[in-house]
Amino acid sequence: MATESSESEEEGKIRGGNDKLIVDDDLREMGKNAAWSVSSCKPGNGVNTLRDDNLETYWQSDGLQPHLINIQFQKKVRLQLVALYVDFKLDESYTPSKISVRAGDGFHNLKEVKSVELVKPSGWVSISLSGTDPRETFVNTFMLQIAMLSNHLNGRDTHIRQIKVYGPRPNPIPRQPFQFTSTEFITYSTLR
Amino acid sequence: MLIFGFVQNPERQRFIRLRDLARSPREKARLLKFPLAARDLLLRDNLTHTHPSFCSPNATAPSLLVQFRRQNMETLLANCVEKNLTQFMFSNAIFLCERLLAQFPSEVNLQLLARCYLSNSQPYSAYYILKGSKTPESRYLFAFSCFKLDLLGEAESALLSTEQVPGGAAGHYLLGLIYRYAGRKNSSIQQFRMALSCDPLCWEAYAELCSLGAAGEASVVFGNVAAQRLQKTNVSQRINFSGGETMDHLIDSDKVSKDTCVWQTEHVSGENQQDLKVKQLGAEIPPDSDKQCNGSSHTNGWDLKTPSPVLTQVLDAPPPMLYKNMRRPEVEGLMYVHGESRRKFMSEEESLEAPEESGRRRSARIAARRKIPLFHSYGKDSHVLHHSPSESNGVPSLSSMIGKCRIQSSKEATTSGQSIGDTGSSVDDEQNSNPRGSSPNPFSLMSGISEVLNLLKILGDGHRHLLMYNCQEALLIYQKLSEKQYNTHWVLMQVGKAYVELQDYFNADSVFTLAHQKSPYALEGMDTYSTVLYHLKEEMRLGYLAQELIAVDRLSPESWCASGNYYSLRKDHEAALKMFRRAIQLNDRFTYAHTLCGHELAALEDFEEAERCYRKALSIDTRHYNAWYGLGMTYLHQEKFEFAQHQFQMALQINPRSSVILCYFGIALHESKRNDEALKMMEKAIVADARNPLSKYFKANILADLGDYHRALEVLEELKDSAPHESSVHALLGKIYKQVKLYDKAVLNFGTALDLNPSPSDTVKIKACMERLTVPNELETEEDL
Repeated sequence: MATESSESEEEGKIRGGNDKLIVDDDLREMGKNAAWSVSSCKPGNGVNTLRDDNLETYWQSDGLQPHLINIQFQKKVRLQLVALYVDFKLDESYTPSKISVRAGDGFHNLKEVKSVELVKPSGWVSISLSGTDPRETFVNTFMLQIAMLSNHLNGRDTHIRQIKVYGPRPNPIPRQPFQFTSTEFITYSTLR
Repeated sequence: MLIFGFVQNPERQRFIRLRDLARSPREKARLLKFPLAARDLLLRDNLTHTHPSFCSPNATAPSLLVQFRRQNMETLLANCVEKNLTQFMFSNAIFLCERLLAQFPSEVNLQLLARCYLSNSQPYSAYYILKGSKTPESRYLFAFSCFKLDLLGEAESALLSTEQVPGGAAGHYLLGLIYRYAGRKNSSIQQFRMALSCDPLCWEAYAELCSLGAAGEASVVFGNVAAQRLQKTNVSQRINFSGGETMDHLIDSDKVSKDTCVWQTEHVSGENQQDLKVKQLGAEIPPDSDKQCNGSSHTNGWDLKTPSPVLTQVLDAPPPMLYKNMRRPEVEGLMYVHGESRRKFMSEEESLEAPEESGRRRSARIAARRKIPLFHSYGKDSHVLHHSPSESNGVPSLSSMIGKCRIQSSKEATTSGQSIGDTGSSVDDEQNSNPRGSSPNPFSLMSGISEVLNLLKILGDGHRHLLMYNCQEALLIYQKLSEKQYNTHWVLMQVGKAYVELQDYFNADSVFTLAHQKSPYALEGMDTYSTVLYHLKEEMRLGYLAQELIAVDRLSPESWCASGNYYSLRKDHEAALKMFRRAIQLNDRFTYAHTLCGHELAALEDFEEAERCYRKALSIDTRHYNAWYGLGMTYLHQEKFEFAQHQFQMALQINPRSSVILCYFGIALHESKRNDEALKMMEKAIVADARNPLSKYFKANILADLGDYHRALEVLEELKDSAPHESSVHALLGKIYKQVKLYDKAVLNFGTALDLNPSPSDTVKIKACMERLTVPNELETEEDL
């Protein structure tokens, strides 16, 4: 899981954030295979800014709450982590406060997977999608929706600077049920 | 100093017009007829002093004198240029040569200038000045420049414009390379074979044949025929010559003969000897020898009895015994200095560029003493160095050997990653051991030839077997080498590669480490070394190696391949891709870099781009089976199983013993429901390499899929004993026990599997399986399995 500076378990509140995004080795970013869309945006601050690896540019919504970011995949994928870059110091009332993460097959059957509240975040905030059950480490879904339910200081619109979505690495050997762990097996598993 | 029409006053401050010197028409006429008379006039006018040029005896006709003086300037400049070239003072050489060419425009000087440009890595300049030249030497140089500039069509036409390819073995080799680059495999094979028949010591041609998969047996190629050829051409050198003898296809002899440099001409004559056709052991003057000397005042001066003391001495010295020890004393004195310096350069050259076998150098030294090869390095990326005319008849010249074996690192790094570095020590040994006083009698020559050829036989055999991927045989053959030869970088690289192909990465590691320690400057084959470290997951050593290599040479693709492998090991595929792309930028024909790019793109799941990269690698070298394997894997990932089968089949045609490829072929067959063949393939894989546990694992998997649980269990139990720390084995065992309803054993195995730290997704799977042990199979969703 991604490291977080602090998290209070009982209410799902996240304070602060990291400057650097640190993610486990066995996760990989899945956003490239997805179609990204937003519920509304101000011209010049569109959905591209969410994926441009530039923390200076941000998406600004322009409509009614809740503001939505939709991530749609072509096939069911396993997702484990969502990381957002938000900064209260820069965005103040535009900073989201309550965030709900929903998953499902499409717009019609999204179900909430996780709900967090951010308190003056400043940097990368990681939202883990795993449940307590070990079987629920991943969310296996076609679509993910991140809903900004409310902002700090009751702001109307929201700024998000960057988003990354992570899932497990696939088995490098195709068509095999399990991955190899010992060096001997791994050495013989590929030619280079 | 007297230049036609002018004389310099003693203080050398100004030139005085001869006409002005003469006070009457009669004096004027006399002056024009006898320029030397200017001296008298100057004396009369108190304007002169004794000048060396006035002291020459035998001044006959003014034209001669003028010619002589012209020769002196030309000689001097040409001499100096040659000396600069041997001492790598290229800009000075270019400057002087340009003056030389401007003053005395001739084909020879043009070729000299082209050589200067090529030495200074300016093939474009050489290209422009040589455009349209017709003489064989010029055509060869022109073709070479075109080749450097990637103008293959022009290069080919330059070489083919007459029936005989200029440059002899070197020309054939160059033509072979051109055809290879253009993808014309059969023509290139033919050319390489011709190069070898012209000059059996053209190792590069043999290496190219090996990599094309068309090499003959080394014992045949470097066998008796070759020995005879070498012997004949070497013996023919000793036959007397008379000056001005040249052959059509001589290259440097022309250039050299036109120099009035004493030593060079003498050696040229020796070179001329070597160029006699093998059958003709007698001295001959080919009818067009004069043609070669046309337009050159030098050789004319040579033929005429010019009053040069040095030249007369040379002329007096019959056979130009270029063996040092056979020189006449007076000649020896003359030649010694020059020869010495040359030898020094030769040795430096050798240790710098180091042909692959120091044994070959011995015969080279024999050859070299006969004639001093005017070799120059054309910088790092010269395929073929200064060729000597003798190559046309297969005489081993040091230059040609160095030229041919100097596989420049970047341009021509073949997939086998041959290296040419050498330990300087072996060079010195050879040199010291060379008996200075040995007389070059036929017996020592023959023994020298046979030794060289024996060495080449071993190396050729080993190389051929390696490139046919008969790795065990190759290793055995290389063991036959003497310790001195074995410990050279190239041989160690070959041995290391053999281990790599056998998937014996530990041994490969030790060999490569040794080689790298011995020659840290030698970069050939270091890409393979980095792959070995990648397989062994030695992140630190790999990082260190990459840094070292980049420090040695930032511009070699091997260094960037090593850094790319480092990033790839850390799973930073984007960075690794960047590194490999840099390697490709540095040398577009570096096959392995393309393959590695493909691997990275496949890891990033960009399969289309990966395919493109693999195909590019294959377009450069069809026998690069790693690329076929890569293609097969991308198709497997994309579930295009028929395509995958085809790629693996192609890979197996090239390397039929690779158990990894056999395994994946089996998997592809299984996925296409050709299960019997799949199982057979797995059996083959198990036989091919008993140490590969995956073949058994995959076999068990297939059996389980087919429902043959008992056999699968047998195989897995066996595997479990030999590889107790592999979690997937236990997980699969658990799964199968579950299928046969032996739940206790299933639980046991799942537990062991979990203890062995599987990946998170596998952990999930295994835990899910455990929980559902009591649930009937139908209710399990696909993902759990």
